[in-house]
Parts: sequence; C-alpha cells; structure tokens
Amino acid sequence: MKKAGTLFKITTLFTFLGLFVFSSGAHAASKIVIGHPACLSGKYAKAGEQAVGGIKACVNWVNKVYGGVSLGGKKIPLVYKYYDCESKKEAVTSLIARLISSDRVNVVFAPYSSGLTLRGAPVAESRKMLYMDHGGANNKIFRQGFRYVVQTIGPATRYHEGTLDMIKKIDPSAKKVALAYEDSEFAKMVMFGAEVHAKKLGLNVVFKRTYPKGVTDLTPLLSAMKAARPDFVLGGGHFEDGQLFSRQMADLDIDVKALSLIAAATLPAFYEALGSLAEGVMGPSHWEYGVKYSEAEAKKVGLPWIGPSQDEFVALFKKAVGKNIIPDYHAAEAGAQVLAYVLAVEKSNSLNSDKVRVALGDLKFMSFYGGWDVDDTGMQVGHSMVDVQWQAAKRVIVWPEEAQTGKLCYPMPTFKEKAKGKLAVP
Amino acid sequence: MGKRLSTYGPFIPVLALYVIIFLVGKGVQGMWQVMAMLTFYCALGQAFNIFLGMTGYVDFGYVAFLGVGTYGMALSITYLAHQGMTGPAVIIIGFLLALIFPALLSMAVGAVALRLRGAYFAIATIGVNEGFRYLIEGAKIWNGSEGMIFTSELNQVLGRDTASGLSTFWADVYLFIIAALAALVTLHFMRSRIGYALTALREDEDAAKVMGINVTKYKIIAFITSACFAGLVGGTSWALKTPYVFPPEVFEIHYTIEAIIIVLLGGAGTLMGPVIGALIYGLSKYYLSIILPGFQLLIFAPIIIVIIIAFPDGVMGVVKQRLRGTSLARFIE
Amino acid sequence: MLLEQLAGNLFQGLVLGAVYGMATMGLSLIFGVLRIVNVGHGAFIMVGAFVTLWLFTALGISPLVAVPVAFVVGLGLGFIFYYTAIKKLIKAPELASLLATFSIGILLEEVIKLIFGSEFRGYNWALPKIDLGVTVLPLSKLYACIGSIIIALILYLWFNKTRAGTAMRSVVEDTEGAKVCGVNVDRVYANSFAIGIGLTLASGVLLTMFIPVGINPYMGGSYTLKAFVIAVLGGLTSPYGAFFGGLVFGLIENGSYTLFALIPGVEPFALTRFLSFLMLLVILLIRPTGILKGK
Repeated sequence: MKKAGTLFKITTLFTFLGLFVFSSGAHAASKIVIGHPACLSGKYAKAGEQAVGGIKACVNWVNKVYGGVSLGGKKIPLVYKYYDCESKKEAVTSLIARLISSDRVNVVFAPYSSGLTLRGAPVAESRKMLYMDHGGANNKIFRQGFRYVVQTIGPATRYHEGTLDMIKKIDPSAKKVALAYEDSEFAKMVMFGAEVHAKKLGLNVVFKRTYPKGVTDLTPLLSAMKAARPDFVLGGGHFEDGQLFSRQMADLDIDVKALSLIAAATLPAFYEALGSLAEGVMGPSHWEYGVKYSEAEAKKVGLPWIGPSQDEFVALFKKAVGKNIIPDYHAAEAGAQVLAYVLAVEKSNSLNSDKVRVALGDLKFMSFYGGWDVDDTGMQVGHSMVDVQWQAAKRVIVWPEEAQTGKLCYPMPTFKEKAKGKLAVP
Repeated sequence: MGKRLSTYGPFIPVLALYVIIFLVGKGVQGMWQVMAMLTFYCALGQAFNIFLGMTGYVDFGYVAFLGVGTYGMALSITYLAHQGMTGPAVIIIGFLLALIFPALLSMAVGAVALRLRGAYFAIATIGVNEGFRYLIEGAKIWNGSEGMIFTSELNQVLGRDTASGLSTFWADVYLFIIAALAALVTLHFMRSRIGYALTALREDEDAAKVMGINVTKYKIIAFITSACFAGLVGGTSWALKTPYVFPPEVFEIHYTIEAIIIVLLGGAGTLMGPVIGALIYGLSKYYLSIILPGFQLLIFAPIIIVIIIAFPDGVMGVVKQRLRGTSLARFIE
Repeated sequence: MLLEQLAGNLFQGLVLGAVYGMATMGLSLIFGVLRIVNVGHGAFIMVGAFVTLWLFTALGISPLVAVPVAFVVGLGLGFIFYYTAIKKLIKAPELASLLATFSIGILLEEVIKLIFGSEFRGYNWALPKIDLGVTVLPLSKLYACIGSIIIALILYLWFNKTRAGTAMRSVVEDTEGAKVCGVNVDRVYANSFAIGIGLTLASGVLLTMFIPVGINPYMGGSYTLKAFVIAVLGGLTSPYGAFFGGLVFGLIENGSYTLFALIPGVEPFALTRFLSFLMLLVILLIRPTGILKGK
C-alpha cells in the first residue's frame, strides 16, 4: 500500500504544482502593467536582451522623470513584468496567458520575430488584449485582420528603400544592383521590397539569389555574383551570415561601390569581428545612436514630443542592463513602444484595450526613436529608417540627409586598400 | 470484466492524468495555455513513444512528420479559403491531409530507412528531415521559405469568433484527444501481437527474425502509426494554434530532441511514461523560465546526462519495477 | 565563363573539403571504435574556434599555434567526458548515447555562452592572397588546407606504425578478438574518444582559419549536420575515409551550385543542401561502407 502511496503522491504533487501558479491576482488601478514574453535565451537572445533593456529604460523614465502616467487625474506608475520564452512558440502562448490572467497586465508586448509574434496573436486577440509588436517586421501580419496588434518596428519591405534612394541620388550612373539575401521569411520580404523599389527607380537587378539559414560558406554564390559585375550589393538576413558575407567578399576580392547588409552590419560586433574590412559597409537601421531626433526637431515638423533625450535613453539603458553597451535599434524600438502606449493611455484616459487601440490609431508623435504613426491595420508607417556606414570604426548616419551625422563615403575603398588599413572617410 | 480490466486497466491512470491536466487548465485562471503546452508535450511524447519506445529505433528526424502534418492543415486552410470554401469541412480536410502527408512520408522513409539499424537509422532520419526542408526551400514547394500565414483565411473559413476559439481553446482540446488516442493505441499495440513482436525485436532483432517474426512488417506499422499521430499533433498545435508555417520552424530538430527527452525521462516503452516525462519536462522548464530566465539549458543539460546514466529506464521504469507483483501492477504499463 | 566559374568553385571546394574532411575525422574515429555517434560534435568544433579566437585576440598567438593547443584541450575534455559519462553508455542502447552526447553539446554551448557571451565574433589574421585567375585564395585558407592534410597524414602513420594505433585498429575491426589478444579495450576506448575530441577541437581551429567570423556558442549545429553527411560518404567508421569524404563533399557542394543555378525558378543554394542529404540517404542504403571502400 505504501507503494500505491508513492504513485498517489506523484499525481497530487503535479496537481498542486499546477495550483501554485495562480498567485494573487488582485490589482487595484494603482499601477499599469506591461507584460512581455521576452526572448532572453535561445536563438533570439541577443535582440531579446536589448528589447528588455530598452523597455526597462523607458519605464524607468516614465516613472522617475515623467512622474507616471496621467489617468483619471492621477499619476500612476508603470510596472514591467517579463518572462523568458526561450525564443520558442510553446512558451509564448502559455506565458502570455499567464501575464493576462495571473499578472493582470494591461498590455502585452510581443516577443521578437514575426513567427513568435504571430503565435501569441490569437491568444491576445481572444482576450481582447492590446498586443504591441516591436520585433515582427513581416508585412503579412497586418493583412490577417487582427484588431489589437499594433506595430512599432517598420515593415520589412521598406528596409532597403532608403539605401536605393540614396545611391540613386549620389551616383545615377550606378545601375547594376545585386540582391543576395538569406532564405527566410523576413529577409525574403526585404528582398521583395528592394526589388520592387529598384525597378521603380529604373535600376537593373543583375543578380538575385538567396542562401539558406545557417550557411557556413558563401563562396559559390559570391563567385556567381562577382561574375554579374554589380555596381553595388544589397543583402543579408541575420547576424552571423552578414559577417560571413563581407568576409568572403573580401576573400574573393569582390569590390563594389557600395555594400549594404541588413541586421548584421549595424552591430558593433560586426566591426569587432571584421576589423578594417568592415570599413564602408552600410546597413539600414530603425534607429542608431547619433540620430538627430529631438524636441526642437519635433516642433519643426509639428509633432508632439515625449520621452528621454537620446543621451538620457542611452544612460538609462546602460543602467537597466548593467553593462556599458550602446543600445541598438532593438532596444530603441521596444523603448519607443512604451512611450506610444503611455501617450495612448493618457489620450484615451482609459486602460481599456479597445479605447487605447483607437487612441493608438490616431496617435502621431516623435521621440528619440523618431516618428511614430500606424495605419488602419496597425502597421507602422510613420517611422523612417536610417542608413548607417562604418567610417573609421564609427557608425555614421549617412541617410536620410536630414538625419545625417556625416557624409557618405562613396565608392567605398576596395578590400585590398582596406586590408592595408585604409579607412572609409568621405 | 476482469479480463477487460487487465487489458485496458493501465489506460485508467493515464486518462486520469489527462483529465486532471484538463481540469486544472479549465478551472484555474490563467492556466489553460500552460496546460495546453503540457498537453503538446504529452501528445508529442505519446506519439513518439509508439515507435521509439516500442522498437528502440531512434528516429532523429521525427519532427519532419509534425512538419508535413502542419503543412497539410495549412495548405487546406490556405487553398480552400482561396477557393471560397468555408465551414468546418475545411478543417476536417485539413486533418485528413495532416494524416495523409505523414503517412506517405513515413511509408517512403520506412521502406528505405527501416532497413538500417541503430546509429545508421538515426543518421538517415536526420538526413530525411533536413533534406525535406531544403527541398521545400530550394524548389519553392508550398511557397518555399516564405511559408504561409493564414489567420485571415481561417477567419474567412470559420468566422472570426469560431476561428479565435479554435486557436485558443479547441485546438488544445483536440490535442488532449490526440494524446489520449495515442495512449490507447499504444496500449492496444502492447496487448496485441504487434507488441510481442516489437518486444522481441527490441531485445534482439536477429533472434526475432529467426523465430519467424515478420519484423519489418511490425516495425513499419509502428512507424506509420507514430508518424500519423505526429502529423495530427503538428496540424493541431502548429497550424490551428499557430497560424503560420515557416519551413525552418517546423523542421526544427530540437523538437525531436525534446520528444526523446520526454520519452526517456518518463520511461521508454511504457504507457504512462510520456505523460510523466512531459509533465516533468514541461513544468520544470516553465518554472525555470519564470524563476531563472536564461539559464534553463545550463541547468537542464547536466541533469539529463545524470538521468541517462543513473535511471536509464526513466520514472515509469522504476515505478513499474517497484510495483511488480502488487495489486496496482495491472493499472501500470 | 560558366566553365571558369565551375573551375573556380571546384578548386575552392577542394580546399574547403580538405578542412571539412579533417573536421569529420574525430566523429568517424569515435564511431568506429566506440560505436557511439557524437551528436554534440559541432559543439566541440565551436570550442576549438573559441580557443583560437581567445589565443589570437587576447594573447596575439597565431592560429597555427592554436592547432596543437586546441588538440591538447580536446584530449583533456575527451578524457573528462569519457570517464564521467561515455564509459557507462558504451553498452547502452543508441537512445541513451545519442541523447547524452547531445546534452554534452548543449552543456558546452551554455558554458561557453556564460564565459564569452552570445555575440558573433571574429578575428582578423591579415595574410596576403594568391590570385589564381579563376578565383582568389587567401593564404590563411591554404594553410588550413595544408594543415588538414598534414594532420590526416600524421593520424594515418600513427594508426599504422605505432602499437597504440594498431591496438585501436584491431578494436575497430573486431572488439572481441582484440580482447582475446590482450588488448586493453577500455584503455583503447578512452584514448580513442579523447583523440577524437582532440582532432575535432583542432579542426575547429582550422575552420576558423577558413572562416574567421561568425564565431559564437551556437555555431556548431550546421557543422554537425555536414559532418554526418561526410562521415557517411567515408563509410562512418574510418577516419581517413572521412577525410576523402570531405574532399568529395566540398567538390559536390561547390560544383552543384553552379549547375543548379542554371535551373530557372529555384534557389540553387538550398538545393545543394538537399543534394547532400539525398546523397547521405542513398549511400546509407546502397553502400553503408562508404563510397571509397573497395569491397
């Protein structure tokens, strides 16, 4: 009988384990809670860590500097509640449900990537919970008829549009463009946008190929690209392939006038890994340290301003992550999303998701992150991207002209010159 | 009555566990999705156990069957919606495809790979999974790497509220049913000629052949059955519950590993093992992600190594041994 | 034009193939002797890459010196894992050893992540390049290729000319027979596992000489998969079979790209991957001893 007891114990143990979870759920309206199934480990850990830091920084700013969210005549503090979803879909839904039911959050911030954002969307929608997307760029998310999904990150199709405009303006003779992206839903979307835009500008796409995720050698693809003799190259996909891409272009002596890679090229690790070979390489970015968005700039274009200044944000971010690193755009867009939510709550004077959603639809503002405005489907249309170029080991914003911190170095030095230590200075 | 009890008695505690999971999910606020996650792991383990547990063959590419099942459901919803078809028939056709695709793939794989044994079989099945994924991407089959996103199609087919209920509640209920069915089939196999043949095969394949057992036939039956359940799990959890399909995510080898861990933790070849394994695995991961975000794997990896060495028979292996000869033994398998 | 490209790619494939082959020898050696598939193979390559990175960036030591250093580190890791885990799993069913080696891989990844972080890193070993007309080859790649050939040769000589090597070979061919002849099988198991891991770490160094960027804790996965295909090409149990398997693999992967690119409407790069796994299946079925063995 004792043995039967063991079995019984195991069963009851699990039942109780289950019951333990539901903690006290009684929240007064004394705080506003942002819930987030963050990607702190697994394949999106890098971006996830940045996002958490950015959100913490802006929550901190709202509470300490802004004095809390004005709601019903009172100043109410923001609380940030996050768990680690391991970048896996199974955990995303269970954590979102926990955030909504046990933690009684007022808004859910989506996890990183379009896939995980989509996985959580039905749960948030069915609970009529506002679901803000700062890491899913796939345009198709906004063709699904979701009602509570609102985007802060810009859509993928627009990543390389600015780059094309810039080159068209600076060097109208550069007609031949090569596109070589990673074979993933996100990068394919970028490539689609770039191709459409290139054709619109009258450019000639001389090479268009993809390479699989997790690739370790790009030589055959790059050799074929070399043979097409492009004037400039757009491509990329994620972090590691971007490093491989530039390194192997250098190995094969493929010299072009300009090279722009998504994701990888804007990160400090890119330069650390490649050294002087990274000189002159560009990348589109949603935000970059050094952008000129400020209260004065906002006034000029007639938008309301909210949030910390750029330097304040960077300082708060460093404090939040406990490391001396400059935030990248993953942090900035997540932080800006906090500000958008705060403004919408104040505007609607409510925490009701439907009302806040309507307010978000009407909202237009500027912060350190730049402009913010969504269309009817919730897709971000008010934020423009910048283009960054590595010049003398520094990231310089070269496009658009009104956000520039320096001139573009064009054409970029050849790989031979760079190996000898030549810097890309205009 | 007594005979039937001894035949299907072991199903009672398994069903009881599923009912408990269901009730906790339904009754405790905020627990439904957690229980849904556990059910996914239960169903995954239960389905994999039919093949891995009973034959001892390690299919390292098992996730491919979940993948094609997902595609079955996704294709049905996407294409039939574009044809203007609506109503539950679309979902039923989806389930049929989620059965047919893995059945076809498992027949093809089974016919060739099941001739191999041990490590050779494991490596071959990895090859099948990776190869299939790259074929889809490279030849741009079923939209290639862009995959499909089909919430709007699902809304169109079922109407917004039903679709939402399907994604957040009914899909999980289907998973319960699939997991319980898989358990029932496992038990049926155990109690029939297939089970005896497979036990003989697991102990010594050559000896079983000499004894005149048609080893290949039973292996393939277990393989196809297991694959079909995997397809249903994929079609339910990765298509109905997750309204998109991207190739790298549905052919992700880590799910095979998770399935192996679950089966091994609970006890390979036992009936209740996968449920116990899934509960231990799912709950400990869930709470680790809340208590110690970011360190789950660092903690998990050494624990798994220790368990493999110290308790190779898993929890149910130990329990079965201790209960042998008691009146409870007939409820445990 | 096309032929020129093909020639260039094939040459690159041959150079890379030598390194791939070397990177698979450890896997084949361990499987040959212990009959255990090291599913955590790529994680050991990753550790080798980090040894190189650390020596180069922190101490300024050349990657060439890192090869023996990584080998010794690998020997150490190999003995540790052998005596703590692998030893008890030699007689266990595949399920146990596969999951155990996979878990060892995860453990290595997470420990490295804890020490070095999950950033993608690289180093810049500036060496001149040789222009071959059809393609360009940096010297570092050439060194990696020559290094691989030298290591393969040393292993060959060691296997055939030394007592310890002969003992190992006898275990591969007939474990029971070796026991009868007085070979200490347990010692052979331990040595083979350690040497296998040592070779794998050393190959991690050579691979970074080929591709000195993208070094991060999770880089091993794709190398594990490649190594499986190559090991199968070489017959799974033979380290030099694996070396030649690597050469064949490099040629096919690079050569087939140019040919697949001729088909309209497909993604040739993904198809080269498909082809390599198709090859794996076909060879396992029709010739599990590999394509190079005579019998």
